[in-house]
Amino acid sequence: MQAKSKQSSNLLKLIILSLFGTISMVLLFLNFPLPFLPPYLKVDFGEVPTLLAALIFSPMAGVIVQLIKNLLYLIFTGAADPVGVFANFVAGITFVVPISMIYHKYKGNKSLITGLVSGTIIMTIAMGVLNYYVLLPIYGVFMGWEEMTSTFLLSTIFVGVVPFNLLKGVIVSALFVPLFVKLKPWIEQKQATIR
Amino acid sequence: MSNSIIIGQYVPGDSWIHRLDPRIKIVIIFCFVVFVFFANTALSYGWLTLFAIATAASTKIKARFIAKGLTPVWFLIIFTFVLHLIVTREGTVLFEVFTFPIYSGALIQGFSISLRFFLLILVTSLLTLTTTPIEITDAIESLLHPLKKIKFPVHELALMMSISLRFIPTLMQETEKISKAQASRGVDFKTGPLKDRIQAVVPLLVPLFVSAFKRAEDLAMAMEARGYRGGEGRSKLRELVIRKQDIIALGLFAFVIVVLFLLRS
Repeated sequence: MQAKSKQSSNLLKLIILSLFGTISMVLLFLNFPLPFLPPYLKVDFGEVPTLLAALIFSPMAGVIVQLIKNLLYLIFTGAADPVGVFANFVAGITFVVPISMIYHKYKGNKSLITGLVSGTIIMTIAMGVLNYYVLLPIYGVFMGWEEMTSTFLLSTIFVGVVPFNLLKGVIVSALFVPLFVKLKPWIEQKQATIR
Repeated sequence: MSNSIIIGQYVPGDSWIHRLDPRIKIVIIFCFVVFVFFANTALSYGWLTLFAIATAASTKIKARFIAKGLTPVWFLIIFTFVLHLIVTREGTVLFEVFTFPIYSGALIQGFSISLRFFLLILVTSLLTLTTTPIEITDAIESLLHPLKKIKFPVHELALMMSISLRFIPTLMQETEKISKAQASRGVDFKTGPLKDRIQAVVPLLVPLFVSAFKRAEDLAMAMEARGYRGGEGRSKLRELVIRKQDIIALGLFAFVIVVLFLLRS
């Protein structure tokens, strides 16, 4: 009987994570490009379900939701920009994993704020490094810009990538804190029934 | 909302490209993306363009739909072209635009790289134009099958993808319903400063998450009641089978690649 109920809670978790992935995908269509940033940098609320999944279950659950969301996006947009999708995947993970690790360790609203701040910083640093060594050079190859200078790379990163990720972190956090506070009693109740 | 956004690009049809095995399509497109970078002469570019356009034409999808899928990248293609015109300084000066010299090398390089970009986008978009998302998911499950050996949960991933795909229209509708319900209570999503618009999303998300949980519980119960017990020994409604036309398509593509290598220098 014990094994049976464990299996069904696994299936339930699996389905919940799938639906969170769907919500992420639906929220992607609510995105709004910010007026002063280039159009390929778009802020969306797709990270919110990822973050919620990571806080309800585990950091790994967040990674799974992020994976589902990006795979769905890839399938729907016809892989026009696989590099951008990969970037979004990594950004989501570097944002969500630190937050949920801090939250699960200390609990409480304060640790959520600490987590959101450190998650934003870690994501920004990680995306800066990733853009410098991987993403921008790959775009360079696609666009026929094999000889990108490091000054060009650095200026792109400091003008475009870093402010964008900071802003994205701040916007998602600004949305997530009131949402989480509202949902908290409900989340605790669900955690008790599913685990 | 549901009227203005049509999710996915799939255009129903009955061309032989539509009927190809989705796995074959994915493999061919993946190879094409790699081999495009091998083209380096006018003839080899011409050959690949011929292949891409012939394939696009044989899908029997109206050019209008194909062009619609390309709209987000037109800007990038033109941008690449102009950037190369400005920066590259090889070959002879052909003519001057407002005393700015345009080099022949720049024209050639700009054109070939924009063309490469165009070919990449055109061919990859043909996959989503002719294949339903659920077919692509099945194909991914099948292609990732070898990863099962290293304990990668291929079946679970495919199941999650199918469930997510199935619920996209449902949850889109639900989002629309909730946002209308909240708007009728006075929530303003469209105007006001950024901060207010972000705050306005909260009353939209709370019911969305709660109802997603409810749906998940119902679905889990329904699946268990029908005897779902994981991937082992589960039979499939849609079986992927490699047929003669798939072998022919692979052969044709191999021919295209061989000719490409003969044409490059």
